[in-house]
Amino acid sequence: MTLGGFILKNALRNKRRALLSVLSVAVSLFLFITLQVALRELTQPPEDLGSSLRIIVRNRVSLVSPLPARQLQVIEKIPGIVAVTPFTFFGGLYKGDERFTSFAQFAVDPVRVKDVIIDAKVDDTEYASWVADRTLCIVGLDTARRYNLKRGDRMQFTGTFFPCDLDLRVAGFYHGTADDRTVFFHQRYLDEALGNPGTVGCWWARAASPEDAALVTARIDQAFANSSAEVRAETERAFQLGFISMWANIKVLIGSICTVVVFTLLLVTVSTMSMAIRERFRELAVLKALGFRRRELLGFILAESFGLSMLGAVLGAGGAWLLYRNLDIQKLANGVFLAFEVTPRMMGMAFAIAALLGIFSAIGPAFSVARTSVVEGLRTLD
Amino acid sequence: MRRISTASLMSLHIVPIVFIRDLSKLYRQGDINIAALHDVSLDIASGEFIVLMGPSGSGKSTLLHIIAGIDRPTHGSCRVQDTDVARLNESQLADWRNRNVGFVFQSFNLIPVLTAFENVELPLLLTGLNASRRRQQVTTALNLVGLGDRQDHLPRQLSGGQEQRVAIARALVTDPPLIVADEPTGNLDAKSATDVLEILRNLSQQAGKTVIMVTHDPKAAAYGTRQLHLEKGEIVV
Repeated sequence: MTLGGFILKNALRNKRRALLSVLSVAVSLFLFITLQVALRELTQPPEDLGSSLRIIVRNRVSLVSPLPARQLQVIEKIPGIVAVTPFTFFGGLYKGDERFTSFAQFAVDPVRVKDVIIDAKVDDTEYASWVADRTLCIVGLDTARRYNLKRGDRMQFTGTFFPCDLDLRVAGFYHGTADDRTVFFHQRYLDEALGNPGTVGCWWARAASPEDAALVTARIDQAFANSSAEVRAETERAFQLGFISMWANIKVLIGSICTVVVFTLLLVTVSTMSMAIRERFRELAVLKALGFRRRELLGFILAESFGLSMLGAVLGAGGAWLLYRNLDIQKLANGVFLAFEVTPRMMGMAFAIAALLGIFSAIGPAFSVARTSVVEGLRTLD
Repeated sequence: MRRISTASLMSLHIVPIVFIRDLSKLYRQGDINIAALHDVSLDIASGEFIVLMGPSGSGKSTLLHIIAGIDRPTHGSCRVQDTDVARLNESQLADWRNRNVGFVFQSFNLIPVLTAFENVELPLLLTGLNASRRRQQVTTALNLVGLGDRQDHLPRQLSGGQEQRVAIARALVTDPPLIVADEPTGNLDAKSATDVLEILRNLSQQAGKTVIMVTHDPKAAAYGTRQLHLEKGEIVV
């Protein structure tokens, strides 16, 4: 027998309790990881090069207020602007998925948009056919896969925001962006459906370099200052961060839940370890009598507590990592989440929490054993 | 109060192992000090089988605990071989106990999740012996108490008498000079009690171990080479 074997036998002497302790740690850390991943997915802005080059120009009054189409000529002449396209959110419900459509549809200028969303990769033939026919659309690969769409398939949308419906056919697919779910169609098609109102939702432009972007946004704002449609221009990244700031309370809520989970876990683990050690008080007194020192007994208790906690972490955090790695979260979450990535930092946090749990839950029982004399310990048995 | 002096033991060519001088132990209960032992002086020779008797609360277990190094006196000295056990710190005392004292308890106190072999091996884990030496010593100790064929049994698979014999094997596996037994037959039937007492007597007479046993049972006491009666914290016989 080795000391390690002795510790293992002690840890597993009450198998049901050991299993429940491990499971309580595992389930709590699984929940912790899930919340952390969800928080990250909700609050992480895109960090590709395109997002720092792209500039979103919207009505200063509100995001939903349209902008005059005539602004295009002014914006494209502003120094530092490489390309600009209308970008109108349609917000329709996809036929067959009317309850909740998780992907967006934007009306754009098909020629100009290629120079704005530079990270999108589209087959040249498909792109050419889309440009040529205003009833066609380009679909993000994730959405195409989800609905098993092929070229030539019809995509019908019921308008919720605009008083018209869309009847489009798929020209092709794009991929390579941070969010390959969107459907792009012709602004001209929307204009015709709406009776040519002469407005767009927003403008998306591309600056020549990230360094130019700040100056360009200021120039755009200035160009329309004191006009009937003043604008607010900002980089895509700033725009996303503005959106994220609206999640502030969610962040606090998730943070609070995580804290409560960890604290409850601590109470449960401390209670379990205290119970396990209290039952063994007489045996620990006998071990002391046989010559085991306080530090060795502390080592036994710590190793047992630490071992159970870490096993829980392996099951909980490891299980979350395995599950989210192999799960089609887009399908499961109805497209709310693009990915559900468990980062090394989250795994590190989960294991650090488990390690601290193991240590904290051992302190009380170990202190109690250390301050009890052999005679006092032996008296508990008779 | 009577005691056998070191000089008288020496004159009988018996080597003393335990020297106790003016030993007192006070317990504090609220504002009152209760004397468990009062100025006890005692010498015990190597190889003796000492029996401590007396009514409950007479201090016999306290005396046994102090000699065994699991309790500390309030006054006086207790030397076992050349070590004043009262002067050792916790860690030194633990080492000393491992090398010098074997314990036998009334309720056996075996670890329920360990086999008989592993229970006996437990004190050897602190000695730095390799696995094969440990196996050899454990097997010898279990054979000595007649349980060589029960090595792989868990305590719950053994009778009370067998459990106590495993406890004796655990007590002598490190080959300590001193064996202390606190009412070792208290939980046993007559046959098992006789077996256990025979083993303790053999350890004293044949292996030269010093055995100190606390008991209430006069039949058990008859196995000792010397009986000491305690009353109100003093040796009276």
